[in-house]
Amino acid sequence: MSARTLSRPASLEALDETAVPLAGGTDLVPLVRDGLVEAETLVDVRSLLPRGVEPGGIGIGAGTTLADLERSGEVPDALREACRLAASPQLRAMGTIGGNLLQATRCWYWRLAFPCYLHGGDRCHAREGEHREHAIFAVEPCASAHPSDPAAALLALGAVVETTRRRLPLAELYRLPTEDDRRLTTLAGGELILRLRLEEPDASVYLKAMDRQRWSFPLVGVAAARYGEETRLALAGVAPIPWALGSPADLDAATPLPGTAYKVDIARALVGRALAAVR
Amino acid sequence: MTELLVNGGRHEVHGSVLTTLAEVLRGHLGLTGTKVACGEGHCGACTVLLDGAPALACITLLEAVGEREVTTIEGLRDHPLVDAFVRADAVQCGFCTPGQIVSAAALVRETPAPTREQVRHAMAGNLCRCGTYPKIEEAISTWQG
Repeated sequence: MSARTLSRPASLEALDETAVPLAGGTDLVPLVRDGLVEAETLVDVRSLLPRGVEPGGIGIGAGTTLADLERSGEVPDALREACRLAASPQLRAMGTIGGNLLQATRCWYWRLAFPCYLHGGDRCHAREGEHREHAIFAVEPCASAHPSDPAAALLALGAVVETTRRRLPLAELYRLPTEDDRRLTTLAGGELILRLRLEEPDASVYLKAMDRQRWSFPLVGVAAARYGEETRLALAGVAPIPWALGSPADLDAATPLPGTAYKVDIARALVGRALAAVR
Repeated sequence: MTELLVNGGRHEVHGSVLTTLAEVLRGHLGLTGTKVACGEGHCGACTVLLDGAPALACITLLEAVGEREVTTIEGLRDHPLVDAFVRADAVQCGFCTPGQIVSAAALVRETPAPTREQVRHAMAGNLCRCGTYPKIEEAISTWQG
């Protein structure tokens, strides 16, 4: 275990670079207790984050729980469905949308602290090992799969992220790991997501394939959002980061591992169903 | 020293930064009805209510509870769901039962007569390895007698 203090600041202004913000804690608490995240200081920001949905579903506070969004009549169908199909009731009642976007991969090698590429090592153990829940895009140098359902929905909905320092398209919150930087997000130390803004679509949907009918991470999740003639697609569970799909034909460019080839077929089927649903 | 509001009573408890609510309930307050099985937020055995919403005590830090009121299975001793679980014989080994009843209490408070689909959706975070799910559904759909 590694964390020395928990502080409860009066405002979000004074977060220093080493502060590790804690909101719902559903991912962070197990990671800190397992020693996978080092946190000199945990900063309890739960009661400081904006919470709730602005009318029209255009602005969402980062402290809004997945349970809030699941029940909201204000948010687009794709986001509401993605929240409803995510995790378990307890986790949805605890977990915030801001934290959900930043959750770590479910890759068992990473979670068991193998010295893998994402942990700074020189190889991806999943590539030669067990990887049926892993990626089909960007499988090198790390074949992990991003587990967030809402992230795919928000990517298709063109969400813009407001942090304590800047505004950026959701796609720019994420990055693939590189030799000199193994992180999967572009968030700086002490930078906090405050709010999400999205464009109201004409129609949207989120479809999810999982091992169980409930309480399971996505094997493949597909979000589709139609704006007039244009339909945007984004996928969960298929790459180390949420994955925007330019067109259904882009699935032909997937580079699955032997154990994830089946995900391409599932993605193709769900993309077809999603496009039909928003037509 | 942290003040904790549990089942209507105030308690002063000690813990380190990473002490969980489940550890305090069981080890310090003797409220051992809250079970810990997986210890990482998957199984639902440690479910309690925080201000009425279901939460996993094994991954909730004591210091992050704040002013929220904690309700454990001991606080639901007189809830009709307890008898309903007995009537429906919804218990086999019984280890998951406290968490099941806490989740069910949160459900029926908002939706007193849930449909089967609503029960399955609300109870998805409580695993039962004995497989008593049909009996649990029966208990929840007959709790009002």
